[in-house]
Amino acid sequence: MRRFLDVTYGVAYRSTKKVAVNPQLLLPSLIFPLFFFVAFAGGLSSVGNVPGFDFPSGYTAFQFVFVLLQASAFGGVFTGFGIAGDFENGFSRRLMLAAPSRLGILAGYALGAMIRAATVGVLLFVVAIISGMQIDGSGVDLFGLVVLALLVNLTASMWSAGVAMRLRSIQAGPVMQLPVFLILFLAPVYVPLDLLAGWIEAVAHINPVTPLIEGGRDLISGSDFQPLLVFGIAIGLGALFLAWAVRGVRSAERAG
Amino acid sequence: MSQERNAGIEVEGLVREFKNGPRAVDGIHLRVAPGEIYGFLGPNGAGKSTTVLMLTTLLPPTDGTARVAGHDIRREGAAVRASIGAALQEAALDPLLTGRDHMRLQTTLQGIAKGDRRRRGDELLERVGLTDAADRKVGGYSGGMKRRLDLALALVHSPRVLFLDEPTTGLDPSSRADLWDEVARLAREDGTTVFLTTQYLEEADVLADRVGIIDQGKIAAEGTPESLKAEIGRPSVEATPVDRAERDAIADVLSRFGSTVPAPPGAAAVRLESGENLAEVVRALDAADLKIADLQLHQPSLDDVFLAKTGRKLDVSAAEEPASV
Repeated sequence: MRRFLDVTYGVAYRSTKKVAVNPQLLLPSLIFPLFFFVAFAGGLSSVGNVPGFDFPSGYTAFQFVFVLLQASAFGGVFTGFGIAGDFENGFSRRLMLAAPSRLGILAGYALGAMIRAATVGVLLFVVAIISGMQIDGSGVDLFGLVVLALLVNLTASMWSAGVAMRLRSIQAGPVMQLPVFLILFLAPVYVPLDLLAGWIEAVAHINPVTPLIEGGRDLISGSDFQPLLVFGIAIGLGALFLAWAVRGVRSAERAG
Repeated sequence: MSQERNAGIEVEGLVREFKNGPRAVDGIHLRVAPGEIYGFLGPNGAGKSTTVLMLTTLLPPTDGTARVAGHDIRREGAAVRASIGAALQEAALDPLLTGRDHMRLQTTLQGIAKGDRRRRGDELLERVGLTDAADRKVGGYSGGMKRRLDLALALVHSPRVLFLDEPTTGLDPSSRADLWDEVARLAREDGTTVFLTTQYLEEADVLADRVGIIDQGKIAAEGTPESLKAEIGRPSVEATPVDRAERDAIADVLSRFGSTVPAPPGAAAVRLESGENLAEVVRALDAADLKIADLQLHQPSLDDVFLAKTGRKLDVSAAEEPASV
């Protein structure tokens, strides 16, 4: 177990050290959500006045939750890009050679992704608070929102790690990114679920990301929250894609 | 099992077959004694690197098995990895991290005690002459520096068996000599078993206690460099006439002393029959009144061994694409 933790720490150390000395590496996972936040919360703020929009903490907080979860998810996807890059340039062999248990490598990538997601999340919180976001949830609610964001990050990083370890090429980037992009934007992004209509409403109803976004909005606004449903789905998705990633590690081992 | 046996390599019928491809490694058997430097020689695509990938547990064999440092590569992968170090063909380094960062990462991955990581890293950086460059990003290192860092990284946990896959490819002669010295020292002073793949005959000749020649996935010959050359046995003699028109006449004279072998344009050469010597060749050429510009006696080389065993020459220039340190 100690060796597993050594490997996990080593891989996470590398990822964190790279970001610490090359902060520009955070830009892709920060710029996109910030753009959405500024564009939606600023440009679409009048959506908050639409009849039927009854989110108590205002449109900025409503959008912030989506942007936070989006940043967490994209941060996870970028971890997959990094893994694919490691396979292309041979660095993954260094890790595979040194690790008694190769699952420690996966855990290290996941931990590194969470540290980066937490950093981006803090920056987003700062920007949102400066822009006047109203937070009505308690400290416990906010902690719940952070845990939810980290679970989304874990799920996305395990999804993309599974793809990266199977395809072992940076050209697999669109395969990692596109499904995450689609599933996020087929959820109630701009307005509550009740205000959606047509096919997008039908899709949003069965989209597993919808309860996560709505649950996050409940947390930031201090509204009634269904922890079993929201965390159940988040943990379930995380476990599903963890299994997918573990099988990806085995696939990479077989391929050499 | 004794510690001695634990440090060697035993390979039994190892096979690796890729989908829709030929057998990259086709049932090889070999043994490397503890503390020995084993040179694994062959041209590109012969199966050298695939063998190393299997022995280092990076690629599962299709058939056969091997024990490395006393551990089965199929069933005891983690134990094998704990006992070996490897510097593979491309020095797999992160250009955004410094040499010292790599040391910290590798000592952590290898489970070196936290308090010893810095000391061990600094010690190895010094040993490979990278102390001054330790805090520079690896992206700015030369090819030779990357190779030396890669070697240092392979040594952080004092492995009993070290795999070096074409470690000097692309290095300039000075960097190559430095690396040879370090590898020889590892075997001589630390008792490390070294499995070295190379396509450079000189490298195998200088460094290896024993050599295995692999061609098209099979071991074509195995032994000490001296014994392999002794199998070929006889030296060759090569003569270049002053007047190129006399080349055929010289070839006729030489043919009395042995079988013709390839020679550079304008020259003739034969592999001497046993018992013939250079003085007799000189007397015969003089008796035929032939003027000789250059006369050379070549002792058999590993290249001759390769030619004799595979029917092809291993024509790789050691000076190919040099990278300076």
